[in-house]
Amino acid sequence: MNWQLALPEIFLSCSAMAILMYGVFARPERSFVMSSMLAVGALLLTAMLVLSGTPGVGYNGLFTVDAYSHFAKLLILVAVGLGVVMSLDYAEHANMQRFEFPILMLLAAVGMMLMVSATSLMTLYLGLELMSLSIYVLAAFARDERRSAEAGLKYFVLGALASGLLLYGVSLVYGFSGSMSFAEIGRAMADPKTASPGLTVGIVFIVAGLAFKVSAVPFHMWTPDVYEGAPTPVTAFMGTAPKVAAIVLLVRLLSDPFGALLGQWQQLIVLVSIASMALGSLAAIGQRNIKRLMAYSSIGHMGYALIGLAAGTGAGVRGVLIYMLTYVFMNAGTFACIIAMRRQGRNVEGVSDLSGLGRTDPAMALAIAIFMFSMAGIPPFSGFWGKYFIFTAAVQQGMWLLAVIGVLTSVIGAFYYIRIIKVMYFDEPAPAFDPRPASLSFVVGASGLFTTFFFLFPAPVVAAAEAAAKVLFR
Amino acid sequence: MLFATAVFAPLLGSLVALLFGKQIGDRAAQAVTIICMILAAICGTSAFVSLVYGGGAPGVVTLATWVSSGDFSVTWALRYDTLSAVMVAMITFIATLIHIYSVGYMGHEPHGSVWRFFSYLSLFTFAMLMLVTADNLLQLFFGWEGVGLASYLLIGYWYHKPSACAAAIKAFVVNRIGDLGFALGIALIFVVFGSITFDAIFAGVSQHQNDSYSVLGGTFRAYEVIGVLLFIGAMGKSAQLGLHVWLPDAMEGPTPVSALIHAATMVTAGVFLMARMSPVLEYAPHAMAFVTFVGASTALFAATVGVVQNDIKRIIAYSTCSQLGYMFVAAGVGAYQASVFHLLTHAFFKALLFLGAGSVIHAMSDEQDIRKMGGIWKKIPLTYTMMWIGSLALAGVFPFAGFFSKDAVLEAAFASHGGFAQYGFWCGILAAFLTAFYSWRLLILTFHGAPRADKHTMDHVHESPLVMTVPLMLLAAGAVLTGFTFAPQLLGEHWQHFWGAAIHNGPNNHVMHDMHEVPGWVVALPAVVGLSGIALAYIIYMGMPALPAQLAERFGGVYRFLLNKWYFDELYDRIFVRPTMALARGLWQVGDATIIDGIPNGVASLTAQGAGRVVKVQTGSIAHYAFAMLIGVVVLVSLYLIIR
Amino acid sequence: MGGTTDMMLPVPLSHYLAVSAILLVMGIFGIFLNRKNVIIILMSIELILLAVNLNLVAFSAALGDLAGQVLTMFVLTVAAAEAAIGLAILVIYFRNRGSIEVEDVTLMKG
Repeated sequence: MNWQLALPEIFLSCSAMAILMYGVFARPERSFVMSSMLAVGALLLTAMLVLSGTPGVGYNGLFTVDAYSHFAKLLILVAVGLGVVMSLDYAEHANMQRFEFPILMLLAAVGMMLMVSATSLMTLYLGLELMSLSIYVLAAFARDERRSAEAGLKYFVLGALASGLLLYGVSLVYGFSGSMSFAEIGRAMADPKTASPGLTVGIVFIVAGLAFKVSAVPFHMWTPDVYEGAPTPVTAFMGTAPKVAAIVLLVRLLSDPFGALLGQWQQLIVLVSIASMALGSLAAIGQRNIKRLMAYSSIGHMGYALIGLAAGTGAGVRGVLIYMLTYVFMNAGTFACIIAMRRQGRNVEGVSDLSGLGRTDPAMALAIAIFMFSMAGIPPFSGFWGKYFIFTAAVQQGMWLLAVIGVLTSVIGAFYYIRIIKVMYFDEPAPAFDPRPASLSFVVGASGLFTTFFFLFPAPVVAAAEAAAKVLFR
Repeated sequence: MLFATAVFAPLLGSLVALLFGKQIGDRAAQAVTIICMILAAICGTSAFVSLVYGGGAPGVVTLATWVSSGDFSVTWALRYDTLSAVMVAMITFIATLIHIYSVGYMGHEPHGSVWRFFSYLSLFTFAMLMLVTADNLLQLFFGWEGVGLASYLLIGYWYHKPSACAAAIKAFVVNRIGDLGFALGIALIFVVFGSITFDAIFAGVSQHQNDSYSVLGGTFRAYEVIGVLLFIGAMGKSAQLGLHVWLPDAMEGPTPVSALIHAATMVTAGVFLMARMSPVLEYAPHAMAFVTFVGASTALFAATVGVVQNDIKRIIAYSTCSQLGYMFVAAGVGAYQASVFHLLTHAFFKALLFLGAGSVIHAMSDEQDIRKMGGIWKKIPLTYTMMWIGSLALAGVFPFAGFFSKDAVLEAAFASHGGFAQYGFWCGILAAFLTAFYSWRLLILTFHGAPRADKHTMDHVHESPLVMTVPLMLLAAGAVLTGFTFAPQLLGEHWQHFWGAAIHNGPNNHVMHDMHEVPGWVVALPAVVGLSGIALAYIIYMGMPALPAQLAERFGGVYRFLLNKWYFDELYDRIFVRPTMALARGLWQVGDATIIDGIPNGVASLTAQGAGRVVKVQTGSIAHYAFAMLIGVVVLVSLYLIIR
Repeated sequence: MGGTTDMMLPVPLSHYLAVSAILLVMGIFGIFLNRKNVIIILMSIELILLAVNLNLVAFSAALGDLAGQVLTMFVLTVAAAEAAIGLAILVIYFRNRGSIEVEDVTLMKG
């Protein structure tokens, strides 16, 4: 048994436990910052382990390392790292400097890495639960905040229901295909004609469970409420890494074991994708809380990413990966700016609080403007490229309608992104925000640079995504 | 090298002004951008001269490898041929004059903010240059979007004006709709040709002649689909019928912006695209017929609306719309050369008209309604003369520039026979008559008759400073000269030598030859209708000033129909804007009319409404959310079972 | 197990599946028909997981494949963790709001 395949995961779990031990015995006033630093270090080392890992299948087919999982794991680690850095300053102000915070993020990262490497329903479920359980706690982490507690409760109840559905689907697929391993399932349903209805129902249940994590319509209802209520760094975290993990897993599941049924699930994904894009762009128009707005925006973005899956080709998967990459950076950057929206030590979340930011803090306004333009898909920012690859893939498959609807909703979506820019530059200035801490400036700067200059050297990313997509579509 | 300098100098100027504008101040920012523009104009013109007259070789200036991955490889490169050289020379020249003019026009603006304006102007110029020199469709698309972005910034420059903000957003959104077509067109080109560089596409034209593509339930030749999609993109940028609604509203920006958008840049992008893609479009006859049809309809539609407008800038805006229609007619019948020629002359006289109108507005203390002008021609004689020259050129009177190019367009339309081309010809003739009519209506109402402004304003009427009038004179020279100097070269016997391989005419396309052999009356007709339009305007507005009001009363329905621009805005509001908003409102109960018409203050008032509203779907209740999930699963399962 | 399976399974597989489906539906309905108490929601979730476990064990026995039973063990473990976390969140929520009425959990909406 080639146990080294899971070395990064093993290392990360051990580090999480070691940091936990450290936190317990360290002096309380230092433990939070130190354990956060250690967590970032552990993430970096894990990323190096991932990079040096070799492809292979291990643990009796439960666990697979390939170019596809590589791409996703690195992206997840980066996203988690940004999340840890972003929470450093916020925790100090929100009185949640408890060392468990970064550790929960690390454990969630382990869960996500497990998800993207899963090639068996069993690993799929365990990874998903490890991730979810950690995030339930994170969402309710601001113990004295009514909204945080409610967000945690809501997310927990609905998330548990979603896991229940997923698990029921797992049991059906297992029962009707006779195996848990993706490879075996794939063989069992090589001929779509003979697939039993039970199997079909099972697939839909699994898709529903994952769509919940991706927050695709109609399983999106929790998103705005939980985004709004959870502490902002947690929202930022929820908006990036878990989305990557869930969509990557969904893509692998549907194109690997269920690949033969493409013609059947394609329509479902198209439907979900259209609904997500439409809802994301329409519902965001009237939002005045910027975290809620970002929630609807992320629902819309997931709709776009699903177009790539619906295409059902290597080009589509490549598009999904590139889209998620650009999305992670845009989202992390935007949320870092939202965390920095603080007056007299209190965080504010209204869109109107951004008024006149162009004059009071030009650097931050420019960064937000870049992220908004990028999310609206305006070249040359990275968001355009994500959409470009997605839409090309859809058009190549002759899915004109989907591409047209996608571009149309992105036009509607552009409306509210640009409204934010208008508020920042054209409205009367509101009082200035408190000075921005260096940790947030770092996240904003790094994401902003990536978003702006991605177009200069997209080649390595595109090549990596291409290689990753080749794993699923040879 | 010259060519690259011409393209990148404006970017340099823009960046310097943008990054250091606050530190170095308005004066220095103006100086930097203008110097960069002059440099660009010199380089652009010399690149043009050396290519066309100095025997320079067309080619591709490679700058850097951009993306290279698998099936997708793109380089940064500038395409250097007659078409792009003409465009670059024209754009840099006119943009330079507009920069200089803006120094005077923006003189009344509060200090410490004008650097922003100049930075945006240069950025806009750069984006346009990027567009015309692109070597592949992606780069072209970048320039295309860049132009849209910069125009958003410029139209909304006076952000304290709600109408300016609304106009900026409208321009942006309408252009995005056009971009949708363009983006899909690019995607389809990539699918068909496997590449997006022009050389590869043009080389593959003959191979893929009979490729077909299924869309909307039918199967069409791929070229036709590409042609229509590209034209939809061109319609957005070039304000053709249906997607024209943003252009008149864009008048809310400062006047130099209108001149830049309507004369030299943005709106000509669509025409340029047609000329650039001529090798493909030549093999898409049905798409081209569509182009002709829309172009001709736009020419006529915009001219009818122009007749009754009262805002001096809006009249000129509709005339732009109408002239763009002419260009598309020419492109549609295969006379891309005539289309580009009209683009070139139009750039000069339209910039002249806009800047002249700006000079009038400046003199009249920011009054734009021509009903409140009159009797000022003695006070601003220079501006008056310039407006005459511009109007003569626009109306196509010999020997002004418009005469040559408009005649060429109409001759080409007549010579190419098909039904749509004839439709284009007659619409064009009718539009020419109306154009002359409303141009003189504008001239007479603005400058002649009894003064209708209040005394205070009249006392302040003054000629503009030199920094504004010199660009006017240079443009006037262009409006006089470009016609007869360029007509023989661009369209005369040696047109093939001039254009080289930049524009492709198919083997069965003889329109460039036939257009010189049309009957005499076709040549004379545009001039005749133009002169009669002038005469009619003179008789009505000089001789019988009371008549127009009576006519408007007698034909109230027609008058209101025209005054409201055929109710296009209302129609769109009804069909698209309101249902979208109603949907958003119905489902989420988020706001009230403030979102629809109160983009500027919508956010503030929304915040004030508080969180107490009951929402229909997003109730916050766990039970409802869980129920939605269950419904989702049930719907998906049943759908899946049905699809199977 | 092979030979003994038939003897141990006098009840056909479909009956197990039916019971499990009924349990699942009861669990789901318990979540959104219940207007009273969040604790009941937690119980409903347990019900769903039990339905799954029943399914898995039944399939495992019918297929003669142990993987299903292994997953059942995992599900039981995870369910315990899930219940612990759920109750902890509930305690936090109660401390903030002084109530665990389901209908009160609507602070955020729109």
